[in-house]
Amino acid sequence: MDNIRIEATDRTPEVDFAYNENAFSLRGEAYPEDVNAFFGPIVDNLEQHLTSLQDKEVTFNFELIYFNSSTAKILMMLFEMLDACASSGNRVVINWVFEADDDNMQELGEEYAEDLEHAAFNLQPQEV
Amino acid sequence: MKAHKMYRLRSDLREDGIIFCYSGYMTEDVLFSIGKAIKEKLIIDDTDKSVIRLVFSMFVEQVQNVIRYSDELESRQTEEQTLELRYGVLAVGRVVREHQQGRVFVAVGNMVRNEDVEQLNDSLAHIKSLDADGLKHLYKKTLKGETPEGSKGAGVGFIDIARKSKNNFDYDFFKVDESMSFFSVTSYA
Repeated sequence: MDNIRIEATDRTPEVDFAYNENAFSLRGEAYPEDVNAFFGPIVDNLEQHLTSLQDKEVTFNFELIYFNSSTAKILMMLFEMLDACASSGNRVVINWVFEADDDNMQELGEEYAEDLEHAAFNLQPQEV
Repeated sequence: MKAHKMYRLRSDLREDGIIFCYSGYMTEDVLFSIGKAIKEKLIIDDTDKSVIRLVFSMFVEQVQNVIRYSDELESRQTEEQTLELRYGVLAVGRVVREHQQGRVFVAVGNMVRNEDVEQLNDSLAHIKSLDADGLKHLYKKTLKGETPEGSKGAGVGFIDIARKSKNNFDYDFFKVDESMSFFSVTSYA
């Protein structure tokens, strides 16, 4: 899989998927005009890749400032995909990076993490 | 439109504490630009950052509901694209009455079909009846796609509005004619 790098816009996050290192990140604002058009292709590619992995180290950084409820559905899919990847013998670490004073963003991360059974999860508050 | 008439409109809005008002076809570009202006106004007012975040997210969910679901729409198929515009009304302001005075509110209204009113009303009444844990449970269930299809009018957006406002939102319906009702939602940050 080729690495993917999409620059951030005012309403879509930077996408940095380094497939060669199994290091993935989403960074910035996330309320695209058309959620499926933006996330559909990159999520499909990622899923294909993740299901093919065995005995690998995988890291996913979520560094979102804001996301809308349609994007929340995509994040749920990503968490489920990452947990499935961990359950099939990979070491998966999910980092949830948020502005330290944003309690709501912290809670949202904790709620996603509740359902993880295999992947490791870290909350990473960042001073702004 | 004459100045005195425009001025009266402005005065009426201000009396109700309304800082921003838009009545017209809602698009994603309108959402983006008004959203930016609302943020800037709240920063100038020295509003708490957590309140600005809440207002912004309630604003996005409510306006996107109009863009997707308003039943007052116009469309045209050209050779290059399908154009579709949906009509709604937005008002953002601060509460002037004694109860909740000064709180920022986001109000949105749009037409819905009379036959959809009951289901929409039931969904919102259900959301309104839930406590924080119940809302969280419903929110996650909906994110996982475990809610029945056809719940078009009350998807994850309304649950999100309920959670962000800590269930501090109102809604009602006004029957316009035999086919349409006007539906209004106001949430408080």
